[in-house]
Amino acid sequence: MRFVPFILRNTFRNLRRTILTILSIGMSLFLISTLKTVLDELESPPSTPESAKRVVTRHLTGLGAVMPIAHRDRIRQVPGVEEVVASQWFGGVYKDPANFFAQFAVDADKFAVVYPEVRTQTPDQMDAFVKLRTGTLVGTELSKRFGWKVGDKITLKGAIFPVDPELTITGLVSGGGSESNLYFHWDYLNELFPQNISGTFIVKAKNAEDIPAISENVDAVFSSTTAPTKTETESAFILSFASMWGNVRLLVASIATVVIFTVILVAANTMAMSIRERTGEIAILKTLGFSPGQVLGMLIGESLLIALAGGLIGSLGGRLLFSFVNLSSISMGFIQILRIRWTTVAMAAGISLVVAIFSTLLPAYIASRLPIAVAVRRRGE
Amino acid sequence: MIPIRYNLRSLVVRKVGTAMTVLGVALTVAVFLSILAMVQGLRNTFVETGDPLNLIVIRKGSLSEVNSFFDREIKGIVETMDGVESVAGEILVLINSPRTTGETTNIMVRGISDKSLELRSQLKIVEGRMLRPGLREIVVSRSIAKRFRSSQLGDDLKIGRTTWKVVGILDAAQTAYDSEAWADYNEIAQEFERPIYSSLLVRAKNEVAIKSIKARIEDDRRVKLDVYGEKEYFASQTNAAQPIQILGYLVGVIMAIGSCFAVMNTMYAATTYRTREIATLRVLGFKRHNILLSFLFESIVLSILGGILGCLMALPIHGISTGTANFNNFAEVVFKFRITPMLMLEGMAFAVIMGSLGGLLPARLASSIPIVRALRT
Repeated sequence: MRFVPFILRNTFRNLRRTILTILSIGMSLFLISTLKTVLDELESPPSTPESAKRVVTRHLTGLGAVMPIAHRDRIRQVPGVEEVVASQWFGGVYKDPANFFAQFAVDADKFAVVYPEVRTQTPDQMDAFVKLRTGTLVGTELSKRFGWKVGDKITLKGAIFPVDPELTITGLVSGGGSESNLYFHWDYLNELFPQNISGTFIVKAKNAEDIPAISENVDAVFSSTTAPTKTETESAFILSFASMWGNVRLLVASIATVVIFTVILVAANTMAMSIRERTGEIAILKTLGFSPGQVLGMLIGESLLIALAGGLIGSLGGRLLFSFVNLSSISMGFIQILRIRWTTVAMAAGISLVVAIFSTLLPAYIASRLPIAVAVRRRGE
Repeated sequence: MIPIRYNLRSLVVRKVGTAMTVLGVALTVAVFLSILAMVQGLRNTFVETGDPLNLIVIRKGSLSEVNSFFDREIKGIVETMDGVESVAGEILVLINSPRTTGETTNIMVRGISDKSLELRSQLKIVEGRMLRPGLREIVVSRSIAKRFRSSQLGDDLKIGRTTWKVVGILDAAQTAYDSEAWADYNEIAQEFERPIYSSLLVRAKNEVAIKSIKARIEDDRRVKLDVYGEKEYFASQTNAAQPIQILGYLVGVIMAIGSCFAVMNTMYAATTYRTREIATLRVLGFKRHNILLSFLFESIVLSILGGILGCLMALPIHGISTGTANFNNFAEVVFKFRITPMLMLEGMAFAVIMGSLGGLLPARLASSIPIVRALRT
């Protein structure tokens, strides 16, 4: 501990270099933290007590195939099922195909029962949604992106469906990942395009424990019909989308590895410069009786201070940044919310430690090999 | 001007620092290039697909074949138009299928007619045989055979509850068709209970006929259809590369800023070590702007070395095959990483920008060193 002031002095004696190194490491760890957070969001969607009670039923063949709406009433009769709603991906275009966002046609009257965590700003907004045939709920982030207000009328051009629903925004929703979605009446869609179909059914169980039995029973009911089903938990359903993007994990891991290596290079370069300038001083320390271990410890301490500062600025800075910036509008809806988790901050700190050790070892070793008599004479050049 | 040899020698004298900085820039360029190589590969897959004499007809506003559907009578209407040589009516469906690595995704299955293969000259059957109409047989592309379970020649592939025999492997010459499986139109329409066409592939007799066919279909009040050139249609699907491109630029820019700081550090150190040299150069008659240019040049040389090394490091990924979801229709698109000379130039430009930005401030400092004081140190 008594070396701390010594380490601090040395760290800041070339202030410009220290700051540049910290900034460089900070940028890199900001990148790693961000990528890790994106991966987390993709692979472990936030699970809540409400989402744990839901299963999603789709056609066995895949999402492209649809099921008759009559499935809805038969699912409702399966023991343990509290409620079920049709949910059809609409996939329409708002003004321009680049304005991509999720649009679902749902059973408006039962929507609040199945998704209790999706809340409108006031209870009246939910009532208004249920009552109005063209009523529409939009996520708070989505409304910001397009500047929508309650009462606005919007038209979606159908791409999957050959119809263009004219919708009236009756409420803004948030919670349960609804912030960037749009919900309108399945009944209205079916009126425009009377095919009596739905791509998915969202089933709410009375108890989370009944989920495996419900999934099995629902699929058993339809196994010999013309539209057999596959029922899985909501989180498994969401994860299946994440896996479609391909091997994101490998991509992120490769980028992160290269970035860490770059950080080590940057830190090692700084430490090499710093140690080179101080070869004489280090020799004096040794002459005074400090052991090579103590000297190395002090050098690693210096490096650690720099790396840790960079790591924390990167990850904590990212956390702060993402809480202020509207990512949804910058990324055109691809990223909705990013929140760098504390475990990720800890990971960044861990990486800093590794960087500190690896970046100091080699330059310090070279310095320690110099005979004292040569080293003392040597000055920074 | 200060001789270039002076800068090159200076870089060699500080070889460890130079090497580390060059490597740092190189890694940044390599990562940037690798991600852009994905974007390039994905784009090329779509851009290189199609025959200039082919037209694709889909439902108005549906944007993609998978979303499209229309009555089967339309095929007859189009077939009798002037300038039409032949027409293939097709249906597109997605089936949920596990990759060899385990996770499940969607394969695009095209229900084809007897004309489908001959209208696509880029495609040929390389193993097994073409499927026979009226049977539950399926032909898969090479990439699908490699990436998905039970899709080898002779395997039984499950679609819903039914099984289909894989009878042939299709070589699609790395076009978008390389991500498809083909089966008989009637069998697919029956299995999916969709007695419709998703698209018509129309072969025009000659280039003059293309315009008139397009105009006649789009002006026909009875049908609501969009007509695209086959090449034009696939080119419009390239926005599937957008998420990766955004990722690429994001990662590239953040890493580049980090590398800029590292370059700055190295160049500041170079300035400090060479204070006396700089003063001597000034005494010899070199002006401030000579010094500024010289240091800036040195920094750019550093980054060019990094750029070259980075391009070399990224090169081995060229040709590696991978896949992702086309977010237009959630179907798997298979593509290969592709590094082109243009892309390498982009990487070099990226490196030079890093070098110039990183070298500017240190070069300014070097040019403003007071001669007398510097000589005394």
